[in-house]
Amino acid sequence: MGKLIAAALADIREALRLRAVWIALASEDIGDQHKRTTLGPFWLLLNYLIFIGTFIVVFGGPAGEGLFAAYAATGLFVWFYIMDILGQSAALFVREESFIKGTILPLTTYVLRLTMQSVIRSGYALIGCAAILLLMQVPITATWSWSIVALGIIILATPPTILILALIGAFFPDMQFIMQNAVRVGMFLTPTFWGFDEVVGWRGVLYHWNPFTYFLEIFRQPIVFDTVPVFALGFCLVVVLVLWAIAIPLLGLFRKQIAFMI
Amino acid sequence: MVSISARNIGLNYRIPRKLTLAPRDRRMAAGGRIESSGSGRIVKALEGVTFSLRSGDRLGLVGPNGAGKTTLLKVLYGIFEPSAGELHIDGRVDALFNITLGFRTEATGRRNIELRGLINGWTKQQIAARMDEIIEFSELGEFIDMPFKAYSQGMAARLAFSVATTLQPEILLMDEWIGAGDAGFQDKATARMDEIAQKAGIIVLASHNQSLIEQTCNKVLRLEKGRAGEVLPIGEYARD
Repeated sequence: MGKLIAAALADIREALRLRAVWIALASEDIGDQHKRTTLGPFWLLLNYLIFIGTFIVVFGGPAGEGLFAAYAATGLFVWFYIMDILGQSAALFVREESFIKGTILPLTTYVLRLTMQSVIRSGYALIGCAAILLLMQVPITATWSWSIVALGIIILATPPTILILALIGAFFPDMQFIMQNAVRVGMFLTPTFWGFDEVVGWRGVLYHWNPFTYFLEIFRQPIVFDTVPVFALGFCLVVVLVLWAIAIPLLGLFRKQIAFMI
Repeated sequence: MVSISARNIGLNYRIPRKLTLAPRDRRMAAGGRIESSGSGRIVKALEGVTFSLRSGDRLGLVGPNGAGKTTLLKVLYGIFEPSAGELHIDGRVDALFNITLGFRTEATGRRNIELRGLINGWTKQQIAARMDEIIEFSELGEFIDMPFKAYSQGMAARLAFSVATTLQPEILLMDEWIGAGDAGFQDKATARMDEIAQKAGIIVLASHNQSLIEQTCNKVLRLEKGRAGEVLPIGEYARD
């Protein structure tokens, strides 16, 4: 086990040393996806604004309208990021097959490439989120700094999540379609735009037992309610540690076998 | 001193049965021999491969499709870890397996040189220092600032060859190098390969092209179903 962990850590260290590679490739990926369009990557911002605009118009009521918009905007921002990661991870190693079988880049490079892509995409959504918060005149307080901490925790949870799903996807190709459907349904089962008022009954169960709730709340609560979500922060940190504790041995075990599995 | 020493190298890997509702598992082994086991199939891709190379050696790998030539190159490069035997490599290794690997169709040739350099592990300073030399050797001229998708196959191969050989790798691994570009460029490419080999380097080239092997290599290793014969001097191989 010690050897596997050492090999995994060496893979991660090497990928971090080669950060110029995955940063460049991720930037090219985003550029290529919108190469021929007029708006370019600003389609990512428009996409977010169309979604949030629809939610605010359909679900926003007159009472606390501004606060609901902020609630939904921050919730949707985090959910878009989660959706991007969960939807794309399972097929990662299959997409990267030619690189995996043709170069000696560490496996973590591909994980960080996808992480970087999602962070860049989220950057555009963040512009939209910030614009809505400004528009709704949500007061900026020192508590907002906890939302920055939250973003750090969410990003820390990303590489192990991608790695675990990508490995499952390499063994079980149906996983990518399961995940694509799961994230579509997940948006309605996660309190992205509901849960602003008191949640009772089944909604309460969904709210409290859905782990994604806490990843939304650690970013959302400091901004919208000016409170520090201590429990949610602790929960998310534990999840991050558990994910890494699972991902590191898996990386050590499969990093050289993945070329034969895809 | 640049050297490769392979002793009884073996590579076995298991292809597990995929958990899928699809009618059949379409993954095929790249080469070697397949043996069935309870939970899947075991591919014996390489078995008992032994050879040693020193500075200046240019080894040609020959054999039919599925013999294990590409697999052996990938073991030497470090993509596959051998499951048996001992492998010692002294020297900086570079490889030219798939000429378009890492090239972005929408990016210009210049940007692709940067990306390929980064993938090869070069620093930005190393890339900048060699940019003009790569462009000049590739003979792409003003095309270097055109998108890669505008390149012919020959132009793409010239660019790939130029990038792979400009940093003067101590050990260069090449798979099915079909000759980059026209006859003039092929002469240049052969001269550069000679130069690499003369500068205390090693070249390992897998090819079906007998005249290319005879022209480029001084030793030949024949592979058959993952098993290797003896390394023969090129003269002896050519006589056979």
